[in-house]
Order: sequence, then structure tokens, then C-alpha cells
Amino acid sequence: MTTQRTHIIGRGERRVDAFGKVTGKAKFAADYSLPHQLYGATLYAEHPHATITHIDTREAERLDGVFAVLTAKDIPGENAFGIVIKNQPVLACDIVRYYGDGVALVAAATREAAEAALALIRVEYAPLPVLTDPEEALLEGSVKIHGDSNIFVHHKVRKGDIENGFAEAEIVIEKKFKTQFIEHSALEPEAALAEPAEQGGIRITGSVQNLFSSRRSVAAALNLDLNKVQIVQATLGGSFGGKDEVMTALCCRAALLSLRTGRPVKMVNTREASMRESYKRHPYVLSYKWGAKNDGSITAMEITCIADGGAYASMSPFVTWRSVVQATGPYRCGNVKTDVYAVYTNNTYTGAMRGFGSPQVNFAIESMMDMLAEAVGKDPLELRLQNCFETGAETATGQTLDHHVSLSEVLTTAADAAQFSAHWKSFRGQTSGAKRRGIGLACSYRGVSLGAEGTDAAGTIVSVQTDGSVIVSSGITDMGQGAQTQMSQIAAEVLGIGMGRIQFLNTNTSRVPDSGPTVASRGTIMGGSAAKRGAEIVRSTMLKVGSHMTGEATGALDFRDEHLVRMSDGTHLATFAEVAAECFRRGLPMYGFGWFQSPKTSWDEERGQGEAYFTYVYGANIAEVEVDIETGKVDVLRFVAVHDVGRAINRSAVLGQFYGGVAMGLGYGLLESFDFEEGIPKQLNFDEYLIPTSLDVPPIRPVVIEHPDPAGPFGAKSIGEPANELAAPAIINAIANATGRRITELPATLERVLLGHALSRTGERGSQHKTSDESCKIRPAGL
Amino acid sequence: MKPFEYIAPRSLEETTALLARAGTDATILAGGTDLLVEMRRPNKMRKRVVVDISRVSELGGMITSDRSVVIRPLMTHARLQHSELLRIAAPLLASASAAIGSPQIRNRGTIGGNIMNAATCADTVPPLIALGATVTLRSAAGTREMPLSSLFLRPYQTIAAPDELLTEIRFPGLTADARSAFIKLGRRNALSISRLSVAAILRIGRDSRIAEARIVPGAAFPTWQRVTAAEALLLGERPSARLFAAAGACVSKEMILQTGRRWSTEYKEPVIAVLVRRALEQCAAPALPEDGK
Amino acid sequence: MTKIPITTTVNGTVHTLEIAPHQTLLELLREGLGLTGTKCGCEIGECGACTVLLDGEPVNSCLVLAPQIDGRNVSTVEGLMRANATDPLQDAFMDHDAVHCGFCTPGMLMSARALLAEDAHPDEASIRTAISGNLCRCTGYVQIIEAIKHVKP
Repeated sequence: MTTQRTHIIGRGERRVDAFGKVTGKAKFAADYSLPHQLYGATLYAEHPHATITHIDTREAERLDGVFAVLTAKDIPGENAFGIVIKNQPVLACDIVRYYGDGVALVAAATREAAEAALALIRVEYAPLPVLTDPEEALLEGSVKIHGDSNIFVHHKVRKGDIENGFAEAEIVIEKKFKTQFIEHSALEPEAALAEPAEQGGIRITGSVQNLFSSRRSVAAALNLDLNKVQIVQATLGGSFGGKDEVMTALCCRAALLSLRTGRPVKMVNTREASMRESYKRHPYVLSYKWGAKNDGSITAMEITCIADGGAYASMSPFVTWRSVVQATGPYRCGNVKTDVYAVYTNNTYTGAMRGFGSPQVNFAIESMMDMLAEAVGKDPLELRLQNCFETGAETATGQTLDHHVSLSEVLTTAADAAQFSAHWKSFRGQTSGAKRRGIGLACSYRGVSLGAEGTDAAGTIVSVQTDGSVIVSSGITDMGQGAQTQMSQIAAEVLGIGMGRIQFLNTNTSRVPDSGPTVASRGTIMGGSAAKRGAEIVRSTMLKVGSHMTGEATGALDFRDEHLVRMSDGTHLATFAEVAAECFRRGLPMYGFGWFQSPKTSWDEERGQGEAYFTYVYGANIAEVEVDIETGKVDVLRFVAVHDVGRAINRSAVLGQFYGGVAMGLGYGLLESFDFEEGIPKQLNFDEYLIPTSLDVPPIRPVVIEHPDPAGPFGAKSIGEPANELAAPAIINAIANATGRRITELPATLERVLLGHALSRTGERGSQHKTSDESCKIRPAGL
Repeated sequence: MKPFEYIAPRSLEETTALLARAGTDATILAGGTDLLVEMRRPNKMRKRVVVDISRVSELGGMITSDRSVVIRPLMTHARLQHSELLRIAAPLLASASAAIGSPQIRNRGTIGGNIMNAATCADTVPPLIALGATVTLRSAAGTREMPLSSLFLRPYQTIAAPDELLTEIRFPGLTADARSAFIKLGRRNALSISRLSVAAILRIGRDSRIAEARIVPGAAFPTWQRVTAAEALLLGERPSARLFAAAGACVSKEMILQTGRRWSTEYKEPVIAVLVRRALEQCAAPALPEDGK
Repeated sequence: MTKIPITTTVNGTVHTLEIAPHQTLLELLREGLGLTGTKCGCEIGECGACTVLLDGEPVNSCLVLAPQIDGRNVSTVEGLMRANATDPLQDAFMDHDAVHCGFCTPGMLMSARALLAEDAHPDEASIRTAISGNLCRCTGYVQIIEAIKHVKP
């Protein structure tokens, strides 16, 4: 597909929501208040796993200022939600399964009264054995969290013959990797304000990422029809996948309290409550075994991943599905056997987070690639170029990549920008000085949008007003990534108008169609495609009217620079506003509803074969680090990020995703770890859970590569998640280049870099880490 | 936050009188960067009265008198960080102040609070002890002065009585021939709590031998102190990498003698030795930057 | 508990208030004065979302007790616009795409405002230090730094 000539697409237009955000006018969920509102609060479980034997709320109810104290028995409808497996309660009924389970609710006149009332609720527990180790969860005799098995997902990919593959191999590399729990750390904690609706039902304004799935659960919990539950998205202060189920629970709770009391109820999580309750990124235990020829070609990949799903299913089935599809990386291999499991434990449940099952496998894949390069005596770039997908390649799931596969271009562009090979050679084998330089490379392919994991369709509405101003709304939500701006820019391009004419409305479940979740980097490709269609519908009407007005054929007319123009000579024939007014006078609709359904995908669950995603994106990251080998401190000095995004709709927003993705990946690689001790979280605020500051993120050099994809609007694909999935392995590979030692567990803390293993206050974990860090085996085949 | 009574005295006399009356019911508020965090925690705040000393002008400012530097407790970290006086008289204290938290924290947090909160990771304390600082505690009944090193009982606990107020921190300014360093190791480069730190002062005589050495590690020992055994190794010797490494090893050994082997020892044992060596190297090569990084 | 009378100037307007002593400046701004532009992210002085200027210096308003602002000057994001015109700093944030989710933005702007008051042309190192108490999860800080570098005087 060639790049279409455009006027506004590709420009770094100001965001449509920027003005409100720089002036303090933007209203986030916690900024809303209503007269006579009450404050809601949640009482959390006191044990990570226990039977609730008794709850006594009488004393709390008697407290001055308390309007309602509710428990599971007060839920009129279904007390279970979940996108695939409905096993998460709005309020725990007889068993608590993690430390963030809600047990009771309070609505009171003030926050202080609500807090005081929580302290007066007496809950008696009979503690159950606590299961925290996902590998232990697999064992027959382990404690069961739900039903009779802790394994609730097993995805497979089977390709070729793994035995033959290893028989052909001249080298076998086997390694175990571990990743950690990650907290999304959106700067805005969850908040919701619920009010009884005029005609019955409920209206909720909240920091909700996936309004339609939250609405389904609220309706089910309250026994209401979907049209009686209206969820309005407030300006969202970051999400990164993190404001889905936790917001569903908060919306349900606020709605319950509001309907019970007949008053508006506001619930705002403190950071501590947010970290305690909200789901995390899955930690994985990854066992990788690869066979290769001495020339570096890969003959077999045997991969097993165990994802800690925590207490509830949440998005685990989907997250792990992406892992199973992408577990081999973008490398040719004829013999693949991949198994990905998700298991229940009593840790905090895990779900969607930017990357969605790719950061974990990418860490393992890209570490393996560097180890293989070392084993066959090649430079990491050379080995990747030798093995990576080209156009027409067949993936591990048997899909032929018939779009333009730009991975080798992406790789060489990144390598050139960072002078990778020269640096990599010169940094190897440093023997003097405490501060050692290193450079590391990582690349990936990534399926765009939901893929065969679910229904994939979205709607956007473009409504031209009689004065030529435009209102756009969509079922796709803006969490700060700029979805509203991309959709506006696409509508503006189609209508030939400036961005100043467009007003974007925050998503409201009662006014736009269910467009699925805004996840999987599908905002631009799905919402944008729908915006394009919506705008085209209006444009077509307006062109017809323009034709009547001017006597020119519609085919000779275009909208450009806010005018109806004759294409042949560019003459302005009427203003956009005049044509709009004329449409209205003639009684014609200027309302375009655009609906976009993704191209077909397919999946055979048993063999793990199929057209997993309708298209893919390609990216490469290079990190240059300085490692203090005497303290273990790692500083990232420079960074190069290269991504083929199809087409950049808004250049600065695309770069923003690059930068933010790298920073989040840096946290994943070096700083962040949400830890538990016997199921109880150890970090509950930003003093202990460390995300990168402005002094930790290096200068980042971005390179945007554009190979427009016929599947996307104006050729655009996606960037939100690809940007985030490569920084950690690039950094880890750079550390290995600097020190000659490989980190196999994230993050690369001071201790891991210096000692090769983590230290833990409990003392036990340290010893476990030691053994697993020494689990590397590189050996000739057959031994 | 639980309700409390708030009093903002305007003079030192008024403050000590208030504290005498309120006794254990009162807590002192200065910059609030530690206290407000503590007060917010459920079930933590049991004090009935908050005495806000931030308006007591006698408790602010910094002067030199009789070759001594006198810092009043309300001096913020930001002021100390940018102080021209400290740049000459105690650059290691300026470095330590600059390494605390963030600009916002440094604008509010005070040196008095940093000392009296007595957290093991308090960044200004190792430099002050290295400088030989004394502190003055005052109550309605009178004043007492003591070496800063004897103020601390254990982490988060000083010997100050509930009615006693820190009014002064005093130390002799470094002489022109003294060199100092403060090194902080944290997990990230801002908003970071010291994993380990070291304050060091060296004076090298005309004979190129070390005439004076002071080494105070932070976040390593149960309370802060000069490691005299390591200092003794240095005295009378010529600066050398080997010598400084030996001093580092000695500090490490002393640390384990005092704390025993704990979960973190495997890391701290080698690293404190490195930081001590580096701090001494910085002192011996004053051209090197002293930004604590 | 008895309320405390205070007089304070917020964004140029003098307020005489009776406040509960255990209120933070952040709570006073958001709930007492309806200035919800200042955000609450952690309440322990780590995230910087609640940064305001107190007599021109950036502070975490969650760590200032409301009575402590008696007689003092507070500036918040709502005070940046003058005569209905955005401040050049706000323009630079919009033009450099330094605003993503926008939750850190008000605090970030206030830290930047204080820096620029001291140094109209700060270098990258001083910018990074000046915003090191303002966490941002979206931008990787790059565009924020660019914006501050390019504020038109």
C-alpha cells in the first residue's frame, strides 16, 4: 500500500483535550461532586485466603453520619463478574481469596465517618492455607482456590515435530526466566460517582477504561437492563490496562450504595487502596529450550510458561493467549511446542496491562537470542537478521505474513542509529573500571488489536452541526493515549476541516454503541477506522448538497481548508459551514455512524494454529547502559526506539507512545516489582513501589517507520503496546554486554546485578533465587 | 487524618512553655514532610496537639560564629543545598541536602526534622556527625548540648524528652585544607531512600600524609557513628587506592560486628566498602564532582 | 476541635477562612475552594501531582497543613492563565504534546513555572532536576522536558 497524500494526517496537531488539561479545567472522576453526596468506602479482607464465618455490621450502622453498611447479601443480582470466567465477586460472600477482596461497604456523610464505620465492622475469619507460588499451584496436592484445579488456562501451539527439531540441533540452550508483578501506576487512582437516575437505574461517572464491560457487570449485579445503567467516562488519568475490573468493582459498589441510600455516592480509592485491590501484570515463570545449528539457524523451540493469575480469572485467558501466539518471537522455526498455563493463587489477581502478555515472553525470547548469538559466535544483530521474519514468512501458528514485514528494516535502522555492532564489540569483555558500558538490542513482532481472542468491532459517530462545527464521539475511550485526537484528526482529514472545529465527547455508554474494550492497541485502528467511515458518510451527503449548490459533479468536488473546492483548480466554491447549513435546510442528515469490524481471524485451540491476528507491527529497541559493577547500579544512558506504525496519524502522539513505553519498560527492567509476603502486598504507595523519575529516563531517539497497512485507517496500525514491550530485554541484554553476566529474573535490582540474585527480608526467597539463577544450561546437543 | 488541636507559637519561649504543658500529648510540626505522612496512616496519629514551630523566627536561619557554623532547625534542605556558606564550610552537608527526596520535599523538609525523625536513612546525619556537630535541646526547664552522635537511641528514637526542642546544630566549619565527600546509593536517581551512604572528611598534611580522617556511613549501622577503626588505618599514611580499599573493608567488618549478619548483609558488606573507598578517593581528588551521585 | 481562622492569597485572591486544623492544603484547595485542578495521587509527597507554589516555591500540597498557609501566597494551575490567555508555558505543553493523560500536568506545570522564574533558559539537567519530584507514567518525560526548554519568553 502506498502512502496516501493527506493534509492533516501525520501532523503533530495539538491534542483535542490539551487545553482543559493545562488549565486545570479537565475533570477527572474525583473532581466531580454532587449536592448531598455521600462518601463510599470498602472494607478489605484481612487475610489472603479465609472463610468468612461471621460479619456484624450493627455497630457501624449506628455510627453518626452512616447511611448504609452493605455486604454480599445486599447485592440484588449477580455477585460475580469476569470477562471469560465469571468468578470474581463484587463483595466476597463466604470466602476471601486475596488481600484486596472487598467484604463490606459503607456510605457516610463524610470520608472520616466512612472510615470510622469501616473500623467498626466486625468480620470473623477462619484462615485457609495460602497459596502464593504458581509452580506449587500446579501440583496435585496444592490448595485449590476455585473448583478442583488451579489451572484455568492451557494454551498450546504445536508446529512441526519438536523431537526432530532437537535431533537436528547442534546446540541446545535451556534457560528459566522469571518476571514480576507490576502495578500499572496510573497517576490517577480509581474513582467513581454514582447517582440514582431519573427513570430508575443508575448513572455513574468514573475513571473507567472499558465502559461496556463495566456496564454489563453493574447491570447484572443490580438486576437492571443495560439501558438503565449509564456509565460516563470522566477524563481518565492514565490506565495502561489497569482500570477495567477494578473499576467494574468500584462502579458496582458505588451503584449499590447509591441505590440503597437514594443519594449520590462518591468513591475514591486512596493510593494504598488502589495498590491493594487493583490487579497487576502477570508474573511468569518461563522455561525456554531452543535447538539450533552451529550457523545460528533455529531448529526447535520448546516453551513452557506459567502465569500467576492470582485469585481471579480476569483477563488471564486473553493475556496468556497473546503470549502463546508470540512466544517464539519473530523468528523462523519449523518445530515448535509451546504451552502457556494460567493458574490461581492467593496473590492479587492479574490482568490486562500495556503489553498484555508480550513483555514477559519478549524478555525470555530476546535473552535467548543473545545467548544463542554468544553460543554461535555471532553478533546479536546478525543473528536476528538471519532468523527474523520477512514478508511471506510463516509464523509458529502457521499464519503466512502477507503484509509488508519490515522487521529487518526496523532492526537495521535501530542498529545504525545506535551504532550497535561497533559498540557491542567494543564493550564486550571489558575488564577494567567499575563503570562498564553495555549495549543491548531487542525486537519483536506483535499482533494488532484483539485478534482471534474475541469479537473485534467498534463504532464512532461524526455529527456535523448546522454551523459547520463537528461533534465526534466513540465507544473507544481516551485514557491519555490520544485516541480522541487520532479519531478527530481522521474525521478532520475526511471532512477537509481544521481540528479547531471538532469537539470530542467523552464516552457515554448510553449514547454510543458497545465497541468492545479499548485495549490491545486497537484505539486508532478500530476507532479510527470507524471515525473514517462515519466522516465519509457525512462527507458524501455534504458533497451531494455541494453539487446541487454549485452545479458541479460530486466527483469534481472536495472539501479542503474548510471549503468546498473544485478539485481541478482548487477554487473555493462555498465554506464548509455554508454547505452544512444547506444540508440542514434541505432536511438531510449530517450524522455519520461509522462501524468497523476487523478482518477475519481464525484459531484452532487444540493445535494452536491459525490466522491469529489480521496484521502485525514490528519494532526494535536499543539500550546503552552504564553498570556500576561494584554496587549493581545501572543507569540507562541512551536509547533508540524504532517502530513501524503503519502510518502515524499524529506524529507527536506516536512519539509520545514511544517515549512513555520506553520509560515504563525501563521500570520493568530495572526498578519495579510488586511483592507479596504470604499473599500480603509489601508496597502500597509510591515510596516503596518505584517507578522511573525524570532523572532515570534517558534521552530517547525515536525513529518512525511507515509502511501503510491496508487494514488500518490511512494505513495506520498501532503503537501503544509495541512501545512498551522491548525496553526491558534491551536493557537486560545491555547489562549482559557490559558485565558478561546474564540476569534471568526481573527487575535487575542492585542486588541482582551485583550478586546474581535478589535478597528478601524473609530470607527464603533469596535462596530460591540463587538456584534458579544458576539454572542456565548451554551444552552440545545429545549430552 | 484524625482531628487534633493546632497551635502555632511565635516565639521560642512560647513554644517551650506549650511543650511543657502538653507533654507527651504534643508533636512538633516543622516542614511536615515526615510528620504528615505519619499522621495520615490509620491508627498512627495519637497526639492530641500539633505544635507548628514553623513560625518561630528564632528557629530559622544559619550563622557563623567563632569559626563555628550554627544551623537552626528550620533550615530547609533546599536552603542548605544552595548555601554559599556551606559550599565552603561543609560541602558534604550541601551534597547530602541536595540528595534528599525531590525539589518539593527539599523546599519543605528541614534539617531539624531530618535529625529528630531519626530514620536510619536520614541523609543529613552522617555529614553532621562527620563534621563533629553538637545539638542543643531546649525545654522550659533549660538547655543541654550534646554531640549529635549521642542524641540517638535507636532508629526513630532520640533521647530528647517530649518537652524538649532542638534549637541549634553547631559544628566547626571545615578548614581550607580539609576535603569532604558524601555519596548516596539509592535505587533510583530522585525520590530515593538511601540504600547506603557515606560521609567522609580527609585532611592531608603538608607532608602528603593523612592528618585527619572521619568516616560516617549511613543506613549501615543501628545508629550513626564515626568508624574510628577505619579512620585509624588512614592516619599518618599516604593516600592510595589500596589504603582506601582497606579502610572500606574495615568499615564493612565493623558493620557486621555491630549488626550481625542479616538478610541484607550479603549486599551491604561489599558495597559499603566500595562507597567508603570512593568517598575517600573523592576527598583525595577534590576535582571530582561532589554531587552525591 | 476548634476551627482555625486564616487569611491566605490563592491565585491572587485573598481568602479569609475558618478551617479544620487537620486538613491539608490539598484538601482545602480541592474541597474548600473548589480548585480541583490540583490532583491527589499519593498523599505522601511522592508523586508530585498536588504540587502548588507556596510563596513561589513548589511544594507538595498534601504535605502542607492548611493552617500553615496563613498569611502566605498559594498559586495553582488555575492561576496560570491571565486575562483569558494561556501562559506561554501552557502553550509549550500543548505544542510539544507534553500532555497525555493530564493527571501529572498541573503539578508538572507548577514545578516548571518555579524553575522558569529562576532561570528563563534552563538546560536539560536543571529541567530534569526541577521535575524530578513529579512522577509521570505516560510521557517518559521527554516531551515535557522539550516543552519546558521551548517556552517562549
